[in-house]
Amino acid sequence: MSPAAPGPTILVVEDDVEARSALVRELTASGYTVVEAPDGRTALERWALRRPDLVLLDLGLPDMDGLRVVTAIRREAATTPIVILSGRFEEREKVEALDRGADDYVTKPFGVDELNARLRVAIRRATGPAGDAAGRVGAGPVVLDAAHHEVRVGGRLVDLTPREFELLRVLLTHRGRIVTKGRLLRAVWGEAYQGEDSYVYVHVSQLRKKLAAADSTGQVERLIVTEPGVGYRVRDLPSPDPDVHGPGEPVPPGTLGKP
Amino acid sequence: MALVVGVSLALATLAVELLEHSFGVANASSLYLVAVVLSALLVGTGGAIAVAAGSFLVYNFLFTEPRFTFTIHDPGVLLSVILLLFVGVVVGELAALQRGRADAASAREREARAMFAVSRSLATRDSTAAALARIADVIRTEARMERVWVAIGADPATERVAADTGEGQPPATPARLRVLQRTPDEEPARWIRVQRPGAVAPRGGGGGSAAADPALVASGRPAGGLDNYRIRIEASGEPLGSIWAQRARDLDEPDDTETRLMAAAADQAGQTLSRDRAEERTRAAEVAEQSDALKSALLQSVSHDLRTPLATIRAAAGGLRPGGPLSDEDRQASADAIEREVEYLNRLVTNLLDLSRIEAGALRARRDVFELDDALARAIESIRSRLGARTLEVNLAAPPVEVDPVFLDEAVANVLDNALKHTPESTHIRIVAHEAADGRVGMTVEDDGPGVRPDVLPRLFEKFYRAPDAARGSRGGTGIGLAVARGLIEATGGHVSARRSELGGLAIDLDLPMAMVPEELATGRSA
Repeated sequence: MSPAAPGPTILVVEDDVEARSALVRELTASGYTVVEAPDGRTALERWALRRPDLVLLDLGLPDMDGLRVVTAIRREAATTPIVILSGRFEEREKVEALDRGADDYVTKPFGVDELNARLRVAIRRATGPAGDAAGRVGAGPVVLDAAHHEVRVGGRLVDLTPREFELLRVLLTHRGRIVTKGRLLRAVWGEAYQGEDSYVYVHVSQLRKKLAAADSTGQVERLIVTEPGVGYRVRDLPSPDPDVHGPGEPVPPGTLGKP
Repeated sequence: MALVVGVSLALATLAVELLEHSFGVANASSLYLVAVVLSALLVGTGGAIAVAAGSFLVYNFLFTEPRFTFTIHDPGVLLSVILLLFVGVVVGELAALQRGRADAASAREREARAMFAVSRSLATRDSTAAALARIADVIRTEARMERVWVAIGADPATERVAADTGEGQPPATPARLRVLQRTPDEEPARWIRVQRPGAVAPRGGGGGSAAADPALVASGRPAGGLDNYRIRIEASGEPLGSIWAQRARDLDEPDDTETRLMAAAADQAGQTLSRDRAEERTRAAEVAEQSDALKSALLQSVSHDLRTPLATIRAAAGGLRPGGPLSDEDRQASADAIEREVEYLNRLVTNLLDLSRIEAGALRARRDVFELDDALARAIESIRSRLGARTLEVNLAAPPVEVDPVFLDEAVANVLDNALKHTPESTHIRIVAHEAADGRVGMTVEDDGPGVRPDVLPRLFEKFYRAPDAARGSRGGTGIGLAVARGLIEATGGHVSARRSELGGLAIDLDLPMAMVPEELATGRSA
């Protein structure tokens, strides 16, 4: 990493000193510029001051609910990625944070590789376009062309219902990131369908079946990953089609300029 | 009464007239005896005397010589009158006594029925609140009250209404009311009037007070409509609450029977409430005791299992220091060991927390629809890396289930962990699912390992239980994993059991609720 080209700035909000300093060490070594905050109030102050490229937020803060930090940031910045650090017993809070606009989560204890992968995807989303100029998004052999309203797996056309198409489009534009069932319902079915989680389940299973049937690579079988109790995530497979950039290719941290 | 007297007198006179003049009976005056007895039976002694006196006058006037005068020539007539009076009084008294007895018997029966209703309510109660509601109802109808409510609490200020026959919030403690004064002796209880200092003094007197009750006026009720009554509920001198009642002001104070019923109901309620309290205290003590026992068993069971991986982590971390003698390869091995041990500790800590939540009944399932292979992808993936030379066969084709995915994931991870821990390398592990009867989905984790003895099968899911021939040593297991698996599965509407597998080893069967999916969705037509 050249000091002349500082990497993206990450605001690390974590009250535990040991956990925070371990994160700071790791992230600094990975080329990020790190700003620390031990509690929610400091976090919001530093966020306003530094406008980081990403917020890494622990939900259990000493002074305020981590959810309030999510809400406060989202009120002012629609796009700054927020990644939640959640404990095993914060399932509900985690889903709530994602519903309120957080982008992803990592469950404690997490591995360094896992954390880095999540951060990369989250930052790429904020900087890269959601698809190429023609409105095409993809992952692995799956390519969705919004302009022509068609989906191809390895070049083979797949016949999808309008709901399935929309579902796949939402998942692909969030490639590599989790989409909660609540957000899927809102995006694909509308507000009136809140709570009808079985719609999402049934359509995701249909979608998987259709995509897998058209696939010869075996990659599609596990393309849409279930995150139990949270939602779905399309695996961050690079699209082999050179014309489709997907929502931006993975960019090594440190080479990424500020938006 | 006057009617009965007049009619019987007239009828008797007519009959006498008929007998003496048409049939030539010399003296038919004894017929008046019938009239006297009838009146005595019908209206009591007073009526009988009136009829007797009337008969004497009428007979003397109409039938004895000299007729149409009240002059008496025959002393026998005088005797007849005395006889009539005597019979009238005796029969009247007897009849009155009988009537009184019948009334008393019916009142007693009514009281007994009401008391029976009260005690049966309390004896067969599902909940004390429901029983108190029935008691309030019985008092309202049997003691002629307008509204009755039972409140629980040490004093009126902190009382909480547990049952109410009326609608809406019961009135606040009225400024003036009557409280049942009860004496420890056999003396009958009596109502005494009390009032809050500063309340409007009662005007007028008698049974009901005519003064407007501020509390009632405030609550918009017609002034002068209702009187307030309160009976304390006590047990062994400890105040537990009150029975409150409102009674129409035009009725007198509750009579002895009504008062007795209310007092007895309060006694019974008191005993029940104090028994409830005692039970509650016993339960709390039991829970505390159990959780103490749990804590010490837990500490005993896990302290060793916590310390061993910590020792590994510390040793491995020390070797990673810069400038140490370790080769890159050894450093990699140390880093891997730390990761593995952290994973192990994470599972252990998660299980401990799950176990305490299960014990505390604090698990709240959030059920959702999943296909098993989907919900279990992570759990199965995580054991693949630890299989060693074991082989794994997975076939989870089954209808979707409706479970809390996090609970299911943890539970199956524990079952798989158990299978790995207690089978030798080269074991074959099989995970299968199938549609079972009655809207259930069955899932089995089984192996061809050594299995467990049939007599310990039912105990496998007890907490801290370890099969007698299970591997000993630092990683022999804490006896927590399967207990947690059962707790989690049951919390999400499933069952878990163990049996001998057809493969030869242990089979753990999970029985899960099948999901209900809207038909038009399940058939693939888009909604």
